[in-house]
Amino acid sequence: MIRSKKRIMGAAVLMAVLLVLAACSATGGRKAFLAAQNGGQSVAAGHANTAHYTVAMITHASPGDTFWDIIRAGATAAAAKDNITLKYSSDPDPTKQAQLIDDAINSHVNGIAVTDPNPTALCPTIKKATAAGIPVTMFNAGYTNWQQCGGLEYFGQDEQVAGVAAGKKLAAAGKKNVLCVLQAQGQAQLEARCAGVKQGLGSEGTMSKLYVNGTDNAAVLSTMSAELTRNKNIDAVITLGAQFALIAIQAEAQSHATAKLYTFDTSAAEIAKIKSGQIQWAIDQQPYLQGYEAVDALWLFLTNGNTLGGGATVFTGPAFVDSSNVDAVAKYAQRGTR
Amino acid sequence: MATTAEAPVAPPPRTDERVGRKSPLARFLARPEAGAIAGAIVIYVFFFIIAPPFRNASSFSSVLYVTSTYGLMATPVALLMIGGEFDLSAGVSVTSAALCGSLFSWWFTTNAWVGVLVALGFALLIGFVNGWIVVKTGIPSFLVTLGTFFMLQGINIALTQTITNQVASPDISTLQGFSSARVVFSGSFTIGGVNIRTSVIYWLVFVVIATWILMRTRIGNWIFAVGGHAPSARAVGVPVGRMKIGLFMAVGFMAWFTGMHTLFLFNTIQSSQGVGNEFVYIIAAVVGGCLLTGGYGSAIGAAIGALIFGMVNQGIVYAGWNPDWFQFFVGLLLLGAILLNTYIRRRAEAAI
Amino acid sequence: MSTPQPTPTGKHHAPEPAAAPARAGNGTGAPLVRLVNAGKRYGAVIALQDITMEVGAREVTCVLGDNGAGKSTLIKIIAGLHQPSSGVYEVEGTPVSFSSPREALDHGIATVYQDLAVVPLMPVWRNFFLGNELRKGFRIDIPAMKKMCKDELLAMGIDLRDVDQPIGTLSGGERQCVAISRAVHFGAKVLILDEPTAALGVKQSGVVLKYIIQARERGLGVIFITHNPHHAYPVGDRFLLLNRGSSLGYFEKSQITREELTGLMAGGAELEQLSHELEGEGGTAAEIGRVMEEEVAELGISDHPTTESDNR
Repeated sequence: MIRSKKRIMGAAVLMAVLLVLAACSATGGRKAFLAAQNGGQSVAAGHANTAHYTVAMITHASPGDTFWDIIRAGATAAAAKDNITLKYSSDPDPTKQAQLIDDAINSHVNGIAVTDPNPTALCPTIKKATAAGIPVTMFNAGYTNWQQCGGLEYFGQDEQVAGVAAGKKLAAAGKKNVLCVLQAQGQAQLEARCAGVKQGLGSEGTMSKLYVNGTDNAAVLSTMSAELTRNKNIDAVITLGAQFALIAIQAEAQSHATAKLYTFDTSAAEIAKIKSGQIQWAIDQQPYLQGYEAVDALWLFLTNGNTLGGGATVFTGPAFVDSSNVDAVAKYAQRGTR
Repeated sequence: MATTAEAPVAPPPRTDERVGRKSPLARFLARPEAGAIAGAIVIYVFFFIIAPPFRNASSFSSVLYVTSTYGLMATPVALLMIGGEFDLSAGVSVTSAALCGSLFSWWFTTNAWVGVLVALGFALLIGFVNGWIVVKTGIPSFLVTLGTFFMLQGINIALTQTITNQVASPDISTLQGFSSARVVFSGSFTIGGVNIRTSVIYWLVFVVIATWILMRTRIGNWIFAVGGHAPSARAVGVPVGRMKIGLFMAVGFMAWFTGMHTLFLFNTIQSSQGVGNEFVYIIAAVVGGCLLTGGYGSAIGAAIGALIFGMVNQGIVYAGWNPDWFQFFVGLLLLGAILLNTYIRRRAEAAI
Repeated sequence: MSTPQPTPTGKHHAPEPAAAPARAGNGTGAPLVRLVNAGKRYGAVIALQDITMEVGAREVTCVLGDNGAGKSTLIKIIAGLHQPSSGVYEVEGTPVSFSSPREALDHGIATVYQDLAVVPLMPVWRNFFLGNELRKGFRIDIPAMKKMCKDELLAMGIDLRDVDQPIGTLSGGERQCVAISRAVHFGAKVLILDEPTAALGVKQSGVVLKYIIQARERGLGVIFITHNPHHAYPVGDRFLLLNRGSSLGYFEKSQITREELTGLMAGGAELEQLSHELEGEGGTAAEIGRVMEEEVAELGISDHPTTESDNR
C-alpha cells in the first residue's frame, strides 16, 4: 500500500516535470521582455572613473506601488554610470521614513536623495543630514518648501500645478462630476493633486474624493466599483497612479458605468490602454528622470561642486500623454523606463 | 458477591429525567450558524434601509463577489479552526501562490497553465510545512504560522524584486494559456442582466463540499475530535498528526485557488498584498460560530461570516459614509455580529 | 506462579489453599492477560519490579495502590504504550510485545483512561463511533450509528432520549459508562479501567461499578485500577496491591477481607510508627497518637507486618 502510494507520487512528480519542460509559450514572458529591451540592455551610459561614492535614496513608496519601480530604474542607471553604490529604502510611514534617513546619516553615506511627502515629520531629519555635511537632493514630493528643509536641488512637478492643468482639461472636455481616487491617506502630494483638479475645474464642475486601499487590488476594485454604482452622475474618474487606472477600467466594466478615465503617471500597460482609447490621457512627471537626476546631481556636486536650478525647482513635468503623442512614449514604456 | 451461572439480567433502563424536550426553534438556535444568520439578516436590513444602491441585484452581485474573495479562504480556515489550529500565513500565502505562478511562467516563458501547476505544488508545500512543524514540535500553530507569515511576506517582496526589479509581478497576459486560465479561474456570466463572477459559484461549491466533509464523512468526525480533545482522539486511534497536516494543506490548496483567481483577474500581483486578510478569515469563521479553542463550528457559518463582511465592506460605500471612518465601522459591525452570535447561543442553551 | 499469597495477618484466618487459576476466554486454558515477574526500568529508576498478575474472562482483577505506586506504569505496559524491561507479558497464553496501543487494541485490549477518551463538545453517538465509524460508501451512516448507539447504551442500562446531545452534558459517571459501553461494543476482550471512580461522587461511583459488573457478565476480563479499596472489594475477584513499584500482595477474594484490604492499603506499618512518634510528642499530639493506635489495633495489623507469607 505504501509502495504503490510512493509510485503514484513519483509518477505525478515526473509528469509535472515533463509538463513543465514541454509547455513553453510562444508569446509574452521574459523572452518577449528581453527582446523589447533591445537585446537585454537597459539605458546604460558607460562608467565614470571618478571616486566611488555611496548614495542613499529614501522614498515614501508604499509596498506594491509600481510607480516607484520607474524612479528606481532611473536612479540605478545613474548610479551605474557614476560609479556610485545606491542604497534604496522606503516606507510610507513618515516616522519610519525619518528613521531610515537617520540610518543613512549614521552610515556616513556620501549623499542622500529623498522624497518629502510630510515636511513636518521629515524636514528636521533632512536638516540633520545637511548639518552633518551630507548633500541632499530632493524629488517627487515636497515641492512647496524643499529649500527650507535644506535640500540642494529638487526634481519633480508641482502637483498643484499639474492638478490645475488636469482640471482645466477636464472642464474643457465638458466634465461636470469628477471622482478623484486617492490610493493612500495623509499624503500631501496626493491631496495637492485632487485639490488642483478642483481648482482647475472651477465653477464648471464638482470634484469628489474616494480613498481606496492601494495595497490591495481587490479592495481597490470593489470600492471603486461600489462608488460608481452609487453615484451614476460621475462622468470622469481620475486616478493618481497608473496601476489604479487599470483597475478603474475593470471597475467601470463591473458597475456598467460610462465615465471617462484619466490618470496621473504612466506605465507600459497603461500606455497600451491610452492607445486603445480606454484611458483618455495621462499626466507624465517623468519619474525615471526624477530618480536619475536625483542621483546624478549628487555626483556632479560631489565631483565638481555643480548644482542645477539655481535654488529653484527643476521641473520634470507635467506633460500630457494622449492618443496623439502616445507612440513616442510607448516603446520606452515597454522596457519600464517611462 | 459470587457470580451466578445464570444469564445476567440487565438493570432496568433509566430515563434521563434531566434531558427535557427542546422546541424546534430552540434546536435551531443551538446550531453554530444561528447567530451568524441573525447577524446577517440584521445587517442586510440595515443597509437595505439606509443605502438605496444596496437594494438592486447587480449591487448585491458585487457584494457577493467581495464575499467570495474572503469566503474562499474562510472555508478552510474554519475547518482548520474546528480542528484546533490557526493559520496566520493564510493571507500572504494567497499572494505567494499567485506570485509563484506568475513569476515561474514569466521567467521560463511557459504556458500560463504550467505556472498554475507549479503554484499548486508550492501552495501545498507551504501548507505541509506549516502543519509538519506544528505537529513535530508541538509549538502552538499561532506562533508557527506567525513565523511563516513573516517569511512569506519577505519572500514575496524580495523574490519579486530580484526576478523583475519591480514590486509587482510582470504582465503575463501575453503568455499562451492566459485567456483560458482566465475563463476558468476569473470568468463571469450574466443572468437576467446581472453580471455574476464565477468565484461566487466556486465559493458556494467549496462551502457545500466542506460542509459535507464535516458532517457526513469519517474525516469530518475526526476533525471535530482532533479539535475538541486531541488526546482522546489519539487514544481511539485517530491519526491526529496526519489530520492536522491535511488541514493545513487544505488551507494551502484554497490559497492556490484564490491566488489563481486574483492572478488571472488582475494580471499583475502586488508583492505586498494579502497582509491583514488572515484576520478577516478568522473573524469570518468566529462570527460563523467556530470556537477559537476548536472542536465546534461550521463551514456554512464561516460562509455567512464572510457574507457579513462583504455586506459591511460594500454597504459602507453604497451608503456614502465618510470613507475615513471605514475601518472603524468594519470593526464595530463585526464586533456587533460576534456579540449577537454569542447572545443567541447563550439564550439557546438556556432555552427549554 | 499464579498462586496468590496467603493473608499476612494470620490472626483471623487460616492459610487458604492455592486458588483456582483464572478462567480462559478461548478454551485453551490460558488467562486473557497475564504478567509474570514483569518489571520496568527507566534508566536507573525502577518503576515496577516483579509484578505477577492475571485476569481471565468474566473476572475482575483490581489493582490497588496509592499515588506513585506504579499503577500507571502497569497500565501502560498492558495497554501497549510501553514494553516491560523484564518478565513476561502474555495474551491468551502467547507472549507478546506491543509496539503501540493500536496493536494492543487489535488484540482486544481496550483501555478507558481517567480523562475518558471522549470529546466533550461532540454528540454522544459521534463519540461512541469515533475511529470506528460505520460507512456507506464515502458517507457515514448516521441513522444506523445513532440507533446502534442508543441500543448499546440501553443494553448497558442507560436510556438517553437524545444521543445528539454533546457528551459533555452527561454526568461524569454516565460519560464513563458510554466509554465502557463503547469498548465493550467494539469487541474488547480485556477492559482496563484507569481510576474510573476517582473523580466521581458516591452515587456516580455506584453506577460505574454496576457497569463493571455488566461488562464482566458480557464475558470480558476487567482490570480495575483504583486507590479506593471500598470500590474495589465489591466487584473484584482478585486484588493486586502495589506500593512503590513492588507488589505488596496478590490475593483472591476468598483470601482477604475488606478490612484487611483497607488496612494494607492504608499502610498499617507506617500508621503504627506514626502513632508511636506522636505519643512521644505529648500533649494533643499524644492524644491523636493514642486514637490512631486504637484504630490500628482494630484493623488487626501486627507490630511487624511482612509482605512475605506468614505461615502460622
